[in-house]
Amino acid sequence: MTLKQRFFPLTPFGLWVLFLSVVLAAALVAALVVLIKGLGVTNLTNLVPWGLWIGIDLSSIALSAGAFVLSAAVYLFKLKKYEPLARTAVFVGMVGYSMALMTLFIDIGRPDRFWHGWFYWNLHSPLWEVTMCVTIYFNVLMLEVAPIIGQADWFKSRWPNLAHRLEHVHKLAPYLAVLGLCLSTLHQSSLGATYGILRARPIWYRPSLAFLFYASAIVAGPALTVLASKIAAYVTPQAKVRREILDPVTRVIGWGLLIYFGLRVWDLLVVSNSSAPGRDEGLVLLTQGSLAFNFWVLEFGLGIIVPIIILLNNRLRRHDRLTMLALALIVIGLIAYRWDTNMVGQLVAFAYQPQLTVPLYTSYTPSLAEWLVGLGVVAYGVLAFTLAVRYLNLVNHEMEPEPVVVKQVAAAAATA
Amino acid sequence: MTTITLKRRDFLKLSLAGVVSTAVGSKFFKRKNNKSDETSPHKWAMVIDLNKCVGCEQCVSACQASNDVAPDMAWNRVLDLGEIKGKETFLPVQCMHCADAPCTRVCPVSATFQRADGIVMMDYDKCIGCRYCEMACPYGARSFNWTAFTGDNPVVPEWGEPDIPRRPRGVVEKCTFCAQRIDRGLAAGLMPGVDEVATPACVVACPTGARLFGDLNDPDSPVSKALAQTNSFRLREAQGNEPRVYYLPVEGQTLPEEVTS
Repeated sequence: MTLKQRFFPLTPFGLWVLFLSVVLAAALVAALVVLIKGLGVTNLTNLVPWGLWIGIDLSSIALSAGAFVLSAAVYLFKLKKYEPLARTAVFVGMVGYSMALMTLFIDIGRPDRFWHGWFYWNLHSPLWEVTMCVTIYFNVLMLEVAPIIGQADWFKSRWPNLAHRLEHVHKLAPYLAVLGLCLSTLHQSSLGATYGILRARPIWYRPSLAFLFYASAIVAGPALTVLASKIAAYVTPQAKVRREILDPVTRVIGWGLLIYFGLRVWDLLVVSNSSAPGRDEGLVLLTQGSLAFNFWVLEFGLGIIVPIIILLNNRLRRHDRLTMLALALIVIGLIAYRWDTNMVGQLVAFAYQPQLTVPLYTSYTPSLAEWLVGLGVVAYGVLAFTLAVRYLNLVNHEMEPEPVVVKQVAAAAATA
Repeated sequence: MTTITLKRRDFLKLSLAGVVSTAVGSKFFKRKNNKSDETSPHKWAMVIDLNKCVGCEQCVSACQASNDVAPDMAWNRVLDLGEIKGKETFLPVQCMHCADAPCTRVCPVSATFQRADGIVMMDYDKCIGCRYCEMACPYGARSFNWTAFTGDNPVVPEWGEPDIPRRPRGVVEKCTFCAQRIDRGLAAGLMPGVDEVATPACVVACPTGARLFGDLNDPDSPVSKALAQTNSFRLREAQGNEPRVYYLPVEGQTLPEEVTS
């Protein structure tokens, strides 16, 4: 192997990593510009202070929900069969939460004070609760990921003692699953409550948002994990998936989606549908205005109805590509839902002048810096997953579920 | 013997951990409430008479200078409402210093808080710039420092030197009812709302006397007297924010529907 081949491997894998690295490098430059010049380089305003980056935070946290759902299923509800999938899920979750934390770091006006939430408490604030839960849960996820790193062969051969210790953390799995379930339930719903408690913005001011954020995360989180596993297996033989593991999960996702669909319709027809001033304008914006395409097509049509049809039909679900499409649509639908929810309350501009009867709308398009940073964060997530599939054997459903048992069997075989 | 020492050591360790965590915890829990625990004899409020406001925006200039607010920002704005009852009407808006302020509830780091006398303040050293308070404010009274304000303030030569330091980039700021003037005035034995030095800059600057300031707890204060005499309304009253800026409607005008709904 020549030096050139060693450092610039023009394999599809090498090119893919190179591409992601370029996006990441551009994002680092953009992030540096934001940190030096301040948030003036964004298109955010005092009317729309939360934009693309908040959309990424909300989406990546929601799509990381596979970690707590599958951990709870495997370690608390004893569905041992799905342990390899939970293993993938906790890694996807850890990456997702780190994406959110990085984006938040850039998004706040004073990144040097990111630690203030831990020292200056405000128990009334949903955002404070989210800050605490997300940072604690990120540590839980890192503990859950530790055994995966300890299991990797290259890590074992280099640092055998450390690898042994990291693998040992796996014994904590049930406790971590309890913690993950509690923390996730708290903050996944509180992200909805973050909007739901704002009486200043009538379109948000309703109790259903907390439920909907929680329910949609439970559905879309596992969907991303299954989708990522399937894509990995589709692209490389290093990733090994088993139908017996993925198929039941996709079917359950389909049923979950049906329940979520019911909740959304209930929310739309019953909870949101009132004539409170300011709420009508929000509903009009969603159903007829600039967010209508997202709302009807991405959120409901492609994001909910089409995947339900595919995933709950045994014949359709047999087609692997169709299932992958359905899972991808769920993920897109969730992102659209988070984006629209964040936007709708802000785009209906303040009309508190008593005489003003015509609603005012404002608009928001992310700036180049926002796009670059946003794409870079996504590229980081994809890159982390790509490398983990290759070097941490992340997607492997043929792995022995209990390494301890294998050792005993091996020892028994040796003595016999 | 060894076992006993070990046990004692463990016991001591545990107690120490307990004491430390309780001490740290109680330190945090003291900060849980963003309303001040202290009491104050005052309850500051402002009354704006829409009959008298002519939209000259001198209050805006006085505010920008006194508080060193950047030209692209405003703690105090004057909106043109058009003609009402034959009068060209203007609506000055600012922080309403709500008795039940949504912003103080949502701030994740307790950077915005309410003083015992009702003034909603910002701690610019705590603010992380998440802008959740901007989302929560029903009156759009808050401005974020998207860029650093450098250079001279264009209104200062005409309207006087600022009372308070400039805010850094990356924090949210807003009207304080000129708390610095109130505090300094009270310390000097003056009465805010009566003595000009102790009264918010916008009230002092108003050439038509459309703005009144004073203590709601004092029945003889200018605001108490004005509110006792005439009909008044507040913005977005139905939301229950209990704003402390009152408006006197244009003469003969009935309360608009949006205000009462």
